Formats: sequence, C-alpha cells, structure tokens
Amino acid sequence: MTYRIEILAHKDDGRGLEIEKIMDGLGKKVNVRVVDVYTSENETAANDIFQSALGNPVTQKVNQTPKDFDWALEIGFLPGVTDNIGHTAAELLALCSNDNHAEVYSSRLYLISGKVKKSDIEALAESLSNKLIQRSSIKDNATFKKDGGMDVIVPKVKLENKNVSADKIDLNISDKELEEIGKSGIENLDGSRRGPLGLSLLYMKAIQTYFKKEGRAATDIEIETLAQTWSEHCKHTIFASPIDEVKDGLYKHYIKRATKEIREKKGERDICVSVFSDNAGGIIFDEDYLITDKVETHNSPSALDPFGGAITGIVGVNRDCIGFGQGAKPVINRYGFCLADPRSNPQYFRDAKCMNPILSPATIMHGVVAGVESGGNCSGIPTPQGFVVFDDRFVGKPLVFVGTIGLIPREINGKPGHKKKANAGDKIVMVGGRVGQDGIHGATFSSVALDEGSPATAVQIGDPITQKKLSDAIIKEIRDLGWYSAITDNGAGGLSSSVGEMAEQSGGFHVELEKVPLKYPGMSPWEIWISESQERMTLAVPEKNIDKLIKHLAKRGVEATVVGTYTDSGRAVISWDGETILDLEMDFLHDGNPETPLKTTFTRGGEKEPNLDTPKDYNEVFAKLLARPNVASKEFISMQYDHNVQGSAVLGPLQGKGRVYAETSITRPVLSSPKGVVLSQGLFPRYSDIDAGAMAAASLDMAVRNAVAAGVDFTQLALLDNFCWCSSDEPERLGQLKRSVEAIYEMAVKYETPFISGKDSMFNDFKGYDKDGKAVKISVPPTLLVSSIGVIPHVQHAISLAPKAEGDLVYLLGETKDELGACEYYDMNGVLGNNVPETDAHQNLRLYKLYARASRDRLIASAYALGYGGLAAGLAKKAIAAQVGMEIDLSGFDLAADKMLFSESTGRILVSVAPQNKKAFEKNFKGFEQCHYIGSVSYSENLMIRDVASLKVKELEAAYKNTFKGY
Amino acid sequence: MSAQVIVLSGYGLNCEEETLFAFRHVGLDGDIVHINDVIDSPKMLEAYQVLCVPGGFSYGDDTGSGNAFAQKMKLALWDNLKAFVERDTLTLGICNGCQILTNLGLVPAFDKAYGKRDIAVTYNKSARYQCRWIDLKVAENNSPWLSGIESMHIPVAHGEGRFMMEDTTLAKLKANKQIAFHYVTPEGQPANEEFPYNPNGSVGDIAAITDESGKVLVMMPHPERGMFTWQRDDYMEVKDAAQRGGQEVPEESDGLAIFKNAAIYFESTLKKSA
Repeated sequence: MTYRIEILAHKDDGRGLEIEKIMDGLGKKVNVRVVDVYTSENETAANDIFQSALGNPVTQKVNQTPKDFDWALEIGFLPGVTDNIGHTAAELLALCSNDNHAEVYSSRLYLISGKVKKSDIEALAESLSNKLIQRSSIKDNATFKKDGGMDVIVPKVKLENKNVSADKIDLNISDKELEEIGKSGIENLDGSRRGPLGLSLLYMKAIQTYFKKEGRAATDIEIETLAQTWSEHCKHTIFASPIDEVKDGLYKHYIKRATKEIREKKGERDICVSVFSDNAGGIIFDEDYLITDKVETHNSPSALDPFGGAITGIVGVNRDCIGFGQGAKPVINRYGFCLADPRSNPQYFRDAKCMNPILSPATIMHGVVAGVESGGNCSGIPTPQGFVVFDDRFVGKPLVFVGTIGLIPREINGKPGHKKKANAGDKIVMVGGRVGQDGIHGATFSSVALDEGSPATAVQIGDPITQKKLSDAIIKEIRDLGWYSAITDNGAGGLSSSVGEMAEQSGGFHVELEKVPLKYPGMSPWEIWISESQERMTLAVPEKNIDKLIKHLAKRGVEATVVGTYTDSGRAVISWDGETILDLEMDFLHDGNPETPLKTTFTRGGEKEPNLDTPKDYNEVFAKLLARPNVASKEFISMQYDHNVQGSAVLGPLQGKGRVYAETSITRPVLSSPKGVVLSQGLFPRYSDIDAGAMAAASLDMAVRNAVAAGVDFTQLALLDNFCWCSSDEPERLGQLKRSVEAIYEMAVKYETPFISGKDSMFNDFKGYDKDGKAVKISVPPTLLVSSIGVIPHVQHAISLAPKAEGDLVYLLGETKDELGACEYYDMNGVLGNNVPETDAHQNLRLYKLYARASRDRLIASAYALGYGGLAAGLAKKAIAAQVGMEIDLSGFDLAADKMLFSESTGRILVSVAPQNKKAFEKNFKGFEQCHYIGSVSYSENLMIRDVASLKVKELEAAYKNTFKGY
Repeated sequence: MSAQVIVLSGYGLNCEEETLFAFRHVGLDGDIVHINDVIDSPKMLEAYQVLCVPGGFSYGDDTGSGNAFAQKMKLALWDNLKAFVERDTLTLGICNGCQILTNLGLVPAFDKAYGKRDIAVTYNKSARYQCRWIDLKVAENNSPWLSGIESMHIPVAHGEGRFMMEDTTLAKLKANKQIAFHYVTPEGQPANEEFPYNPNGSVGDIAAITDESGKVLVMMPHPERGMFTWQRDDYMEVKDAAQRGGQEVPEESDGLAIFKNAAIYFESTLKKSA
C-alpha cells in the first residue's frame, strides 16, 4: 500500500509569503498555504510516531489539508533524481522501524486562493520547477474534491534490463562506421545510439589498432572507458597538444614552466609544496599546516538545471579538497558566476520548432545562487569569496565557478600530509553514496531524450549531508589513524577515472564490478563504471585495515564497500560475476591517445577609438555606472551565504558600515594562529573582444592587486587559472587562447606568483535557435579567471576598502592612461573602442613592492584596487562603505576628467592615509612617480570632484544598491 | 578538575570545533562526541556537566530545521537526556542546536514538563537564509548563562530562526522570565519585528529563551563567532581606531561572556561543594 502524509505549514509560513510576493509582482493577489508531502510504500509510514515526527505540532498539522482554496499545485521529483528531503524522511522512518532500506519521496503542495486563471498557475509552476528534474500537477478545487485530493505518485526507478552484461563490439569496420561510434555512441540492439563519446576518427583508429594487436573484439565498457579517460574533460587535450611551434603544448610550455621557473628562482623562499599533481594545489600556511586551493567549473549542467548544476559543482570541488594528499579539511568556499543580465529575457530555443526554450537569465541566476548556498551552508564551510560578472553572451552557457580551500597538517603519521600512494595489494574501497544513472555521458545535454521521459533522469543534484558525514568521518577521524594509503574523489568519469588514476601509482587494478552498491537494480556494467553519482570517494586500503574501516564508517552512517584490488600487473582489469569484461594495458589506457597538432591564427579586435562628449550631468552618469550589474552591489548573495561558520571570518564580503560588496576576503582557518588566508580573483571577459592577451594580463593583475591591496605580501601569493573558452576547434579562438597563455606566463614570472592548480572548459558555445527558428550560435567571450590565494602573517595587517576617518588623505597609486576600450563606461555608451587596458608588469611590480612595505608598517588606512568602472566606481564605493564624503581634485592630471574617472587602467590602488602617517607614507613612495595625492575624506555628505561634480553619497548608495534589491 | 563539556557532532552539525574552542578558551575542558557514540553508550553523559548542541545543518534542515536530529535523540536518548538536565548541569543550544533542543521540548518546559513541544523555530519571514551581524539585549532572566551580560553584538546565520508560539505561551514565557535575548537596533531600541534588526521576523523579537531554571539556554545567534575582536564585522574600524589612539585591540569580544558564565557557574558550585 502507498501512504501519503501531508504536513500543513502555518499560514504565515515564509515560503508561502515568498510565492505571494512572486504572484504580487505579476499583479495577482493570492493567498498561499504550503503543504510538505511525503509518499512511501513502506508499512511503517502508517505509524503515528513516524507521521508526527515529520511535523511540528506548534506550527504544522498532519493530514489536515484544508479544502478552501481555488487551485492546488504540487511539485515533486522525477524518478531517480536525488531527493534529499526524501532521504531524511527515510532515515526518520528507519529510526521508527529498523528498516534501513525504506524509500520515502518528498513533494510540495501549494494551495492557492485568489482570482487567478489556470494559466497563471501554470506560469507559477514553470517558475518554481524545472521540467528536467521535476513534475508538477495542477488541480482546481472541484477536481481536487472530486478526486479526494492530489494523485498519489511514487517516483520509483524501474529499469527494464535483465541479465545485463558487457556487449562485444567488433571494430573491424569502415572508417565511416568508426566515426559514427565516436560521434554518436555505440549502437543498441534497437538501432538507437548510447550517446556521444567525443572520440575523433583518429582516436577511434588508435583503438581499432589496439584491439587488432590484442586479437579480439572490444567490449562496450572498454570503449566507454577509453572515451572517458581520453576526453577533453579529463586529458585536457587542447592544452596538451602541440600547437604551432609549441611542440610540448600550452600547459607544459607556459603554465607549468612558469611555476617551475618561479620555484627555482625563489629557492628557499618557495611557498609551493604540491602543484598540478593532485586534486588541488598546496602551499605553505605555517610550520604545521598547508593550505590547498582548487577552482572548478560546472557550466553545462548549470545551463539546464542551475540549482543542481551549482550544488553539484560546489559539493564536488569540496571533494577535490578532501581528496588532496591524505585528505584536507575544507575551510573556505569560493564561487563565481558569469551570467546574462537577469533583467533581460531573450528568447532562444534548443529546437528548431521553438518548443524547448532555454531558461531565462533570472531563473539561471536564482538557481545557481541557491545551489551554492545550499551546498556550502549545509556543509558548514564558509563562503565569503566570490564575484558575479555579466555579459549577454553568457545567456545560453552561464559560467559557474566553484572553489574550495583546504587545510592539512604538513605531517600526518610521520609522513608528508600531501603524499599518498596506492600500493599493489591494497583493496579498492568505494565510500559514500550509491551508484545510479546520474550524469552518464553528460546525457543531461540530450534534452530530446529527457523530454521523452527516460526512466531515470541523468541530471545530478548534490547531497551535501551525505557528503558531510563522509567528510567528517574521513578528515576528522580516519585520516589520522592511517588506515588508508591513498584517497581520491569520484568526479567526472566516476570510478573509471578515480580507480584509473590511483592505479597509475600501483601499476594496475582488478575491479569486481558486481560488488558496487547500486541505487536501483538493472544497470549495465559500463554505466556503473562511468556513472558520476555524487558524494563518493575512492580509497586504497591495506587488507588488514578493511574490517575496522568499514565498521567505523558504518557507525558514522557511511557506506563503504570493497570493489576490487590494486595490482602491479600493468593491466586494467574488470570482471563482472567472474567474467572478464575489460582488460587493457595501463599504458594504452592512460597514454594511448594520439597527438593532434593544432594551428592558430590571431586577429586583434576592437573598433575605432570613439570620441564621446564630456558628460553634462555627472550625477546621472555615476548613477548609471553604479547601477550596472557588473558594478552594483551583490549583497543579496553574501547575505545568503554563511560566511562566518567555523568562526574564522576576519574580513568578510561586505565591508564598512555601508556594506560594500568586496572582491577580497581574509580568513583565519586556524583559530589559535593569527595568520590569515587572503583570497581574491580577477577576470575581464569583455576585454577579449579587443585582445585576449590584454584580457588575460588584466585578470592576473587584478587577482594579484586585490590581494596585495588587502595587505598580503605578493611573495606569499599563488595563483589558479581557469580558462573558459569557446569554439576551441577554430584556429582564431585557439589563437586567442595561445596569446592569453603567453601573456600570463610573462606576468606570473615577473610577479613571481606561481600557478598551483588550474582547469579548463573549452567549448562554451550555445547552439540553438532564435524565436523565428533560425539557427544561432552564441559563444561566451573567451574568459580567463585567475584566482589568488596568499598568507598574511598577522590579520592585524589586513586592510579593508572602507576609509576609516574624516580628514584622512586620499592617494591614487599607479598610472591612469587613456584606456577605456571594452570598459564599463564605453559599454554603457554602446561602444567598444580600441584602447583596451594594457598591463605593465614591471611598473606594477615596483608599486606592489613599495605598497607591501607600507602595509607592513601599517601606514595605509584603507585600500581599493580599481577595476570595473575605474576610479569613478572606486571613489563611490569608498564613500558608500564609510558613509562619508570626499573632496577630490583631479586637475593635476593630463587626462580629461571623464577619462580619469572611467579608464580601467590596471595596476592602480586607491588608498586613504591617516594624517599622522602622511610623512612616513610619502617617504615610503619617494621616487615612485605614480603616487598621486588627490584629496581627502571630508565631513560633508557629498563626493566632491573639484570643477567636475558634486555627488550626494546617499544617492550613489541608492544607485549602487537598487539593482539587485529584492533578489 | 574543571567541569567537563560535551559538544555533539554528526549528521550535519558543523560548529563543534569552534564551539569547543570557546569553552576551552575560558578554562573548561571537554570533548566532541558523535551522536551515534552517545547513543551507543548513553551513560557517558553522566561524566559531563555541560552539554552543548552546536550550530549546523543536521539532516540538511529537511522536515524542518533540527526536527530529524531531535527525533533521533528523542527515540534513542530521551531518558538520559532528561536525567542530564535534571542534574545540576548546564545545557546550551546554538542555532541548529537551538532548533534541536526546542524541538526536543527542553525549552520552554513549563512546570518542568521536559519533552513537550510548545515553541517552533521556523522559516525566516524573508524566506532567505540570513548571515548578518545583529544586536541583542538581554531580557529579564536569572539564567546563570546570562549573568553580567547586558547586550551583545554577534552574528546570526540561519534560514529558520523565527520563534513562533501561541499568545498564551508567549505570555507565560514573559511572566516566567524565560526570554533570554531580544533583537534590538544598534542604538539598543526594540527591533519591533523590523528587518534587518530582527533578521527573521521572530515573535516579540525573541532571539533566545531558557527553561524555567535558566540552565538550559537556546539561542539562534552565534556567540562563538563573536568571541574575539578579530571576528567582528567592524574589526577593521576597531583596529584602526586603536592604532590611531596608540592602544592595543582587546582580544575578547561580546560572545565569550556566554562561555565564561559556564566556567564561573561551575567554579562557584565546585567551591560550594568543596
């Protein structure tokens, strides 16, 4: 029998009020009651103790759903979608019944009263749910009463497969047929294909040759495994391939070489401990600890299911941290979103018939913001650090960056904490969640297949609590007992990738695939092997520790299963109920993919430099500039992200009384140590429209300069690179890529700031149709995110952006040039221009060295590194942050006032200095010609720019804060 | 020997480390113990004088914040828990711990009826998670947790922090002096349920309550995140002013007083028994 339990919330429930607000925004006055629904086929669900445990008697009522409403709307999950609320309810059921395998499914019912039409409710359903992962049903009052309520739905996965095994695939076929397999996947018995493998003909021929040599047919799981292992996602083939004259590829030749050269040059002063070789990069924090950092992207999934994509991303990168060395504790999260303006709503479709629209920019923004919120908050990891950048070209493919900083002892059980090795004979142990059809082939992208209702949808949703149990058990308990030899996370490619990587250390593996615990029966072996089901780590465990490890994890509510053995056979072997279904040379598996040389071209973009009129009304221009999404406050995000859990927050995301959304944060990850971790980042996607090299250089400089401004000595800084490119099969795009990599190599080596970790995502293009059914391709602007991480010896030396006292002196450090190309001000005026900011690393470095000395001597009261919106935005933000006026005089510069105010020249820091430090400050910068005294913090309520403008700080603040008010 | 503190962990609780750090900083000693280990040997509670359920996201707030963890404790530990609060002990629930202990009915526990749920801590009126610094004023209450405290500037971080109850419950809570903290404006005036001073719409601006004895305190704001000056949202301003005045920045801040009161309580009770 199926039981349905309905928990009616209080009439003043915040979630109901939220929907009333949404409807109100559409001009519809309604009253909403919220009902949480639980459905189960388990007999214990009838039990009173269980039913009352689901609700709170003070504010909720069990099974007393009222009948006085006009419309009922219920939203629940499709079969196979992660249902976290359902899982918790199932755990409660288990507590009441001792049945640990019961399933409970959650859904939510809204009872809506008001004069609204069915179409209004349908529109509401659309805004509250995502068809890819959720179902919704609507009933009017009469139907509800006639049917005796809503329909009872049990979203159970039922797979038709019986007696599944691996299929043999004959590769003695024509090139055309080979190409078809690589492109569309292996053919099923019914003639359909299993989904794209992303294997070029060149790769397919290498596979064909290999099996000819082995003298047998391939199996489906072998081809799927090679596709995973050789994928752009895992192998980063574009960065690894020979390109033009660069025979060793962009990654080795520029990125890795930069780090190598810097480390050699720094010698004793080298801060790096683990670079590029692990799930994250690691640098020295103090004598006892390392800090690690990793930034990932989760772009494509977020386009389809923004919440699921973002939560899976953040929880996934947490595992990169847990999988660093012997296991690092996640201590800070980062986020970053590149989105289209949420106030716009362009009409694009995935299909030519215009039946399948893309999600609106507002829906995507809400979803990704909420996804990181849920993932970070539920995991107890502070999320102080992030950004949002807007450009209309992110409409079809938003960029979602997620990062995690970890803390790990430098020595664990007498061994270096960052080292690990799976030994032959160690057991392969899968720990955490079970395996389902989640994320197979990124089948998520085949919206057609999903629309037709596949049995278990392929979209992943992270489950932070399952992972938190796993993380706590490993990092806080088992790691220090020394029970495992190696650990890594299950991310892209699932077991195929985690076991494959670890087995490189031992020299082989033998997996008994039937032992892998599944969410539901009937999965094929190849699916189990490459499934990307979340919340799993893979361990290498000596046999003698197996029993106690499994027992201990069970006590923490975490499942662990031995699924095979690491070997030194030189072969990757998988069996399925005793039958060998995969048997490949390790060398071929990891290094058998043929080289694909790449060629590039490069053409500088840009238009004629415009000659804009001098603004007549600066009040209006400032208000417009500050209201632009790239400049405006994103406080609504910071407030939702727990940024002080772990008690470690020093300098948060909102600075000063006026709560200005800052680019840099400082954290004390070890409460007993005064040392701080400084985090920041830089990116300027639009600069690529003129020159991707200038874009990359500006991004790197911004990442460094933000951190330097906050007080970190640049010798204690390390960097991470995330390339999010587009159309990376076009020579021109590859030319932009090469140019940007060259630029950051030069910059990093000059600054002596090493790269410690990086990731790339090379095809961020949306291919679809406009509202007339015409094919369109929208590519994101080539984007390089540079993230910075550094250590400050005492948080007392931290510098925030808010001026501290009236009468303080204001200085502009660094040179302002006629560089408005691709900047906010030009974009606001609808022009691109030509003079994109160029970065002079040599000149900047001079400034940063002098600045480091001044900040060490505590001569600087506040500092803001100028970026989007230039000096204009910098002055305004400082005034808003401290709720003070300023008196500024720019007449001493050669540039016209508008260019002074809106140029985005890099390498500049706007500071305020206490009058008593004036002498020492000026002495510190003596001989540096770009230290400009420009005015003071005043007692007035206005930001005065002499002979140019007089701006009311209150009005600036309103402009700065109104854009995202109410989000 | 100092009084011993047990701080619970597991299933998504996540503030156990900094919370134990706070207790240790004021001279108490203690352990972080996983809830399943307590359930395995519930008698261990007898060795402790302070029980703290820290902040976190137990069970992801599913089925209502603190509900599932409270149900787990109720089904497996109720008699031991009741025995614990009936001894001369102190109990503290912070944020998720506040939600858990309220769901367990350890507060308000009128007439010592521990276990009865009279109060709900539910969804913020804004339907948004709120992470922000707020101001608190101590209410008329004789709890040992509150002695000597007048006001506090510490943060909240929760999606469900809104105290809701029947009017009669509220009246009784007031009459019994069981309200511990009210949200106020930075100037110390009543928040009048106005956002952002009252960050969740809590009835009567209630931020924390106690049982009748005052020995069980549950609070939504986080004292352990505001125990040192460097944790404060105005730290940059405070340290700059100190530097200009040639002064040192005081190490301690408002939140520490809560933990100190636990140490003071047992210092005096231990003296009494000695």
